[in-house]
Amino acid sequence: MAEPLLQVESLSKSFGGLKAVDDVSFRMEQKEVLGLIGPNGAGKTTLLRLITGILKPDRGSVRFKGKELVGRSIWNIVNLGVACTFQNMRPFRRMPIIANVMVSCLSPRSSTRGEWVKKIENKAMDALEFAGISDMALEKASVLSQGDLKRLEVARAIATDPELLLLDEPFGGLSPAETDLMAKSIRRLHKGGRFGRLHSEGPAMIIVEHKLHQLMKIVDRIIVLNFGTLLDEGTPEEVVNNPRVIEAYLGKGGD
Amino acid sequence: MDLVVYSLKKLYKIFRNEVLVLPSRVIVALFFIALLGLPLVTRDPYIIRIVILTSIFAIFAASWDLLSGFTGQMNFGHALFFGVGAYSSALINLHAHIPPWGSVPLGAIAAVLAGLIVGIPCLRLKHTYLALTTLAFPIILTGIIFALPDYTGGELGVSGITRFTNSLLGNYYLHVVTMLTLAVIMWKITDSNTGIIFHAIREDELAVKASGINTTFYKLLAFSLSGLFAGIAGGLYAHYMRIAGPSTLEVSMSFMVVIWAIFGGAATIYGPIAAVFILFPLLEFFRFWPEYRTMIFAAVVLVILLYMPEGIIHWIRDKIEKECPRCKIRNVATRKSCRICTADLD
Repeated sequence: MAEPLLQVESLSKSFGGLKAVDDVSFRMEQKEVLGLIGPNGAGKTTLLRLITGILKPDRGSVRFKGKELVGRSIWNIVNLGVACTFQNMRPFRRMPIIANVMVSCLSPRSSTRGEWVKKIENKAMDALEFAGISDMALEKASVLSQGDLKRLEVARAIATDPELLLLDEPFGGLSPAETDLMAKSIRRLHKGGRFGRLHSEGPAMIIVEHKLHQLMKIVDRIIVLNFGTLLDEGTPEEVVNNPRVIEAYLGKGGD
Repeated sequence: MDLVVYSLKKLYKIFRNEVLVLPSRVIVALFFIALLGLPLVTRDPYIIRIVILTSIFAIFAASWDLLSGFTGQMNFGHALFFGVGAYSSALINLHAHIPPWGSVPLGAIAAVLAGLIVGIPCLRLKHTYLALTTLAFPIILTGIIFALPDYTGGELGVSGITRFTNSLLGNYYLHVVTMLTLAVIMWKITDSNTGIIFHAIREDELAVKASGINTTFYKLLAFSLSGLFAGIAGGLYAHYMRIAGPSTLEVSMSFMVVIWAIFGGAATIYGPIAAVFILFPLLEFFRFWPEYRTMIFAAVVLVILLYMPEGIIHWIRDKIEKECPRCKIRNVATRKSCRICTADLD
């Protein structure tokens, strides 16, 4: 059997007495889109942060294309091809939007991929164009709205040409119209191809999201977390019909 | 002959299109010309000496800006680099009999090492903790210097070192041209892609890491570059004053550089340089009232920072220029439309 793209094995992390992620194992294939859902505080963001190396796990291993990720630094993991976006967006507020993306374009991974460019601005502009905020490229990032900040996060992530993209609530705080646009660009990104001077093979994705309706249309498979443990795993249809998942989200019925 | 005329015309055209369009650039050009032409007007040794010292401190202030203004690594012990540069080049000059041409660069290399020695333990620290830790380093070095008076001269410092040259004009041009060159180099560094990463590290270090940038490398790079330039300033100072004393490591020295940089506008390079050229001669001017000298100085700094929190240079720049809302190109304040994209200003 071919090696999976990402293999997470018995990953655990606790903050004091709270087990945020408890013995979670799953695997992902190439180009797969995985939805990660669960009630608030289920450990979804913590799981993403463990994969990207922002947090160090207490136990367990994360293998990406056969390489162990636990113990590597964040930038090292990004340069291997795992990019992430932040749930609470973290732009460089006092810098122009294009400079935000240029930082990603200056990473070793990005500078050896895609078309060679003399001016890194061009590449950053293509990433912004893909995300749909190229018309504001010269504004300071502090002027952006919630939705545009989410787009900026996506632009920064795809500028490193990831093979695995971790999206933390890409639709969080977006209006319905913005949500549709974001879903469209995620689908387009997954198809891959050329975005100006950027090339993309179409990354595999893990998407953490609460707006299940939108999420179901994008993902191939869903993982449900509850209290840090793996509650269910399967196709979207299987998961939404699982009584345990409904119970975790809505509570037990009265009678 | 035609070729000479052609290239002169071309140079004039570049000058007209690139420099004369913006008052700030004209001011910078005038500043260069004024500094280089000063000896034509006066050769008063006192004034020449003030300008030389101002140039040395301008390098020092700009090097602080490179580290703390751009990368956001608040360094409250910047005198360490200045002192290490001064002491090392003085000791190298005195004991190894290497002329200043060699000892200043060697002293600067010692300051780079000092930068790394400070930078590596400070990698994990941020904000106030970093500031307090860096504050300790020059004090520690002062203690070491007092503990080993046989090698360092103790409180008297290292004296008897040679000057670059004894001619007034030679010294003047050496220091001024070095200052202008280093200022342009520092400005170029901050204007490059490296400068963008420095800026980003100041804004949000975790996000820079998540963009795939090795922040450890860039932070150490900032520390060593800053150490290099501050070390050169220290070396020049030691050779010009012919003494490297513990005063170069004083806490007041560390705070002076912070005051200069904030006064002129942090994260600009030209801001701190301009601030030194305003404040240092001003402090000398206040010698007319020796009792109130520092008090007037403090009052001036306070008033400026109260009304121009971004720094005096930003304030002046915003008065004489405005930014095009569309293409972000700066224009003279009197223009009605942008000079590049013809969008309406204001």
